[in-house]
Amino acid sequence: MENTNLDEIDITILRALQKNIRTPFKEIANQCNISTDTVKNRYNKLIENKVIKGSTIVVDPKKMGQGNLVIIGIKVVQKFSDSVLNMIKKMTGLCVVTKSIGQYDIEAIFLLEDIEQIGITKDKIEDFPQVKSADVGIFVDKPLLCPKNFEFE
Amino acid sequence: MKLDNIDITILEMLKKDARISFREIARKIDVSPDTISNRFERLKDQGIIVSSTVIINPKKIGYSFIARFGVDVKPAYSSQVLEEIIKIPSVIVASKLVGKYDLISIIVVKNFQHLCDLRDYILEMPYVEKVETSTWINTMELCPYYFLI
Repeated sequence: MENTNLDEIDITILRALQKNIRTPFKEIANQCNISTDTVKNRYNKLIENKVIKGSTIVVDPKKMGQGNLVIIGIKVVQKFSDSVLNMIKKMTGLCVVTKSIGQYDIEAIFLLEDIEQIGITKDKIEDFPQVKSADVGIFVDKPLLCPKNFEFE
Repeated sequence: MKLDNIDITILEMLKKDARISFREIARKIDVSPDTISNRFERLKDQGIIVSSTVIINPKKIGYSFIARFGVDVKPAYSSQVLEEIIKIPSVIVASKLVGKYDLISIIVVKNFQHLCDLRDYILEMPYVEKVETSTWINTMELCPYYFLI
């Protein structure tokens, strides 16, 4: 995919919006000594160039009673990664699933209510005939999130 | 902490577009924009909304994949190492883990050289005993409302 060259102004805009999407453009404009319209144009251009994909809020699932983050590393019978991947995609509580190069063939992160759900999820995955093994890791304490979300260089 | 329908609508709408105006949310559920604004502040105060952010496409600015690091540390030093790992630029999330490793970290990576540099950097931290990396293929998106790029 083609890289987009960002200048100082683009980077200032992105960093301000990463910290708080509701930062008024006027505030960013003052910071860079440019007009609010320039900020607006640059912002629209970043969307047009697909550097900005959208916006969202980050919520704390624990506060909403949604429980535990779990990572499952899965080894599968050769050539079956895609079919296992597609089956995992249908499972409840899934945050992300991906093929992987390393110790596991597939890695998946789930958000699950309790230990019982974790057990059920692991069993379900191990029941797939093409799955050789599933290792579970449970995130403990409060996972640390990058305070700036994605701090690019 | 009990959330009512207003809270849930606010959360759902902001997850999809965090720049949406409070007026628009208000119109949808037939309450005043002030109510939305107050609820929004309350959700932030209670720590339910951790932050609001722009979603960047890392592939457009020179990052090519995500790597997952599993780190083993000397017993009793995991908190200390964790604090150092979260400071590395392009780390999305770092956490203590009960499982194969002591710590886990998910990092957005530019290229293989960058991956090697990151691995060496973590390996050289005091009390780190082992670092295992795994490279995610074709995945540049994490859960859009828990940890995200």
